[in-house]
Amino acid sequence: MDGPPAPRLVGTALRCYPARWRRRHGDEAAELAALLIRDGAPAGSIAWSYLAGAAREWLTPRPGRPLTALACALLAAACLVGVSTGLLASAGPARAASTARAASSARAASTARVASSARAASSAQVAGTSPARGRPYCRPGSAPPFSSVLPAVGHPQLILPAADHARPC
Amino acid sequence: MAVGRRDSESGPDVLRRAGEASVLVLISLADGPKHGYALIQDIRELAGVELGPGTLYGALDRLERLGLIESLPADDRRHPYRITAPGAAALRVHLDGLERVSAAGRLRLQLGGI
Repeated sequence: MDGPPAPRLVGTALRCYPARWRRRHGDEAAELAALLIRDGAPAGSIAWSYLAGAAREWLTPRPGRPLTALACALLAAACLVGVSTGLLASAGPARAASTARAASSARAASTARVASSARAASSAQVAGTSPARGRPYCRPGSAPPFSSVLPAVGHPQLILPAADHARPC
Repeated sequence: MAVGRRDSESGPDVLRRAGEASVLVLISLADGPKHGYALIQDIRELAGVELGPGTLYGALDRLERLGLIESLPADDRRHPYRITAPGAAALRVHLDGLERVSAAGRLRLQLGGI
């Protein structure tokens, strides 16, 4: 198509529509574009609007276009499979790492609790008080304390948990 | 934000998911038949919205498929479009819903003292 670049651009965009649409609206759409350009609308934005409209027209499933509908369905299925695979691939290592992190942090927390209980018990023995009486662990959200720890260097430690559930906080 | 909206007593709001362009086209056709260029000009004056021609034809096709507008015999190369009775009813239902939401919003603004 010869002529000025603006109508050529719009004409190219209009050729992207399905033939059925062009038969119905093609002449009118070209005339409308000419009128809008005459009013000062940029030809690029008109062509872009027609291009977007053509894409929508092709992607909208119609009863008379079973192949297009099938292509859309296949495209959607491929996207879903791709996204699912990607999610699975990214979630696997993350879950493994988070499990390992949780296990190691649980071990660390347990060790820290034992050590801190041991320190509290020994300082209470020195001061002549019991850690349970001094409410050292009575904070909301803190882990339930171990009631008594018998630290003995060189011997396995005996931990007797939860003997003081009735202790008022 | 996708929010489920209750249908009004006068029927389901078929324009709920039709898009802003479709509603504007129906509003523009409510006072008489128009062709594409007249629709674009009217919507610009009415709502300050610059409707692209691709968007316009998409909305016209959608509304015609729904039976809310119909194409009249071509005048030269231009097809005028006319709102149908179901189209007018659907527009009324949609505008009623918008009015209710708008009134609730204004009331809340008053109550909030903003």
